[in-house]
Amino acid sequence: MIAWLEHASGGLWPYLVIILFGFLPSEIWRWLAVFLGRGIDENSEILVWVRAVASALLAGVVAKLILTPTGALATIPLFWRVGSLVAGVAGFYLARRSILAGVIAGEIVLIGAGLAFSG
Amino acid sequence: MPAEPASDSPSVTWSALREGIRDAAGLPALMLMASLVGVGGLARDIGYPLGAGVLSTVLIWAAPGQMVLFGTIASGAALPAVAVAVSLSSVRFLPMTMALLPLMRRPGTPTWVLLLISHYVAITAWVHSMRVMPDMAPERRIPYFFGFANTVLVAAALATGAGYYLIGQLPAALAAGLLLTSPLFFLVNMVAAAKQPVDWLALGFGIGLAPLAIAIVPAGLDLLVEGLVGGTLAYLIHRCLKARREKADAP
Repeated sequence: MIAWLEHASGGLWPYLVIILFGFLPSEIWRWLAVFLGRGIDENSEILVWVRAVASALLAGVVAKLILTPTGALATIPLFWRVGSLVAGVAGFYLARRSILAGVIAGEIVLIGAGLAFSG
Repeated sequence: MPAEPASDSPSVTWSALREGIRDAAGLPALMLMASLVGVGGLARDIGYPLGAGVLSTVLIWAAPGQMVLFGTIASGAALPAVAVAVSLSSVRFLPMTMALLPLMRRPGTPTWVLLLISHYVAITAWVHSMRVMPDMAPERRIPYFFGFANTVLVAAALATGAGYYLIGQLPAALAAGLLLTSPLFFLVNMVAAAKQPVDWLALGFGIGLAPLAIAIVPAGLDLLVEGLVGGTLAYLIHRCLKARREKADAP
């Protein structure tokens, strides 16, 4: 059934995929917290490891979306895709740790590059 | 001392709810919209319908998890691997929820209310609530939280839908910019949130190992393997550094 779901993109399957493979695996941690009540120390070793894995995973997703992009992002050369991330981090620090400024700086670089290459 | 009579009068509840809505309708809502607008684009990118993109925001309510979901599906991952990857990216909700609930739980708060509260736990509402709630009257906290959290949720759901729609209408350069929003926003956020060496190590390994993982790990498992390897490496180095520091501190 799972293989069948993977190849389905019409009908109600995307909604089922989101509920079964997105919502439930994510929500379980929130519900578990309600029933565990109190207990785990936020600085316990197991949670340090869990957070490190979660951060590395998220950073990996960022890298993958930039290195092997799909759709419109693929029309921007790799140099400028990576450059926009660098500009985002630089903008964040230059604007005294403003996340909004970092995002705007990265977008300006990428959109600028996009306009330059398409025009 | 006699117990305070329950003061959950409708007027208290409504004013706390309104206060929550007001506090959310500004930078918190804007930042969430910026992070979810790209998720709508990702959903469209893999051929999912508009409703599925918006549903992912309302149900999963974790832009990183949604990015992992759509990103791993796009990379051809098997669905069980997708679920594991999404789950790993959401483990952080366990300690976050456990830290937040004691601020809102009062004697007699029904479990279903706590479960409902827990659904709204995500970084923006969490950081904000942990900051403002200790100074707030206990009976105002739950309605305040629902006002705040629902406002950012609705804003984010609208942004997801808008992103989904816009990605097909915009010129290529702007559509690319829209697809960049999520990865860029999370990278900057991770940089902003990184405090200890272990955070930087995890971030560095996560990005640094990506080209290698994409090249040698079968598509679909690459992100999961990379997260486990990179995160474990970061953790082990953190342990070594800590042990060395403790040794150096010892007399």
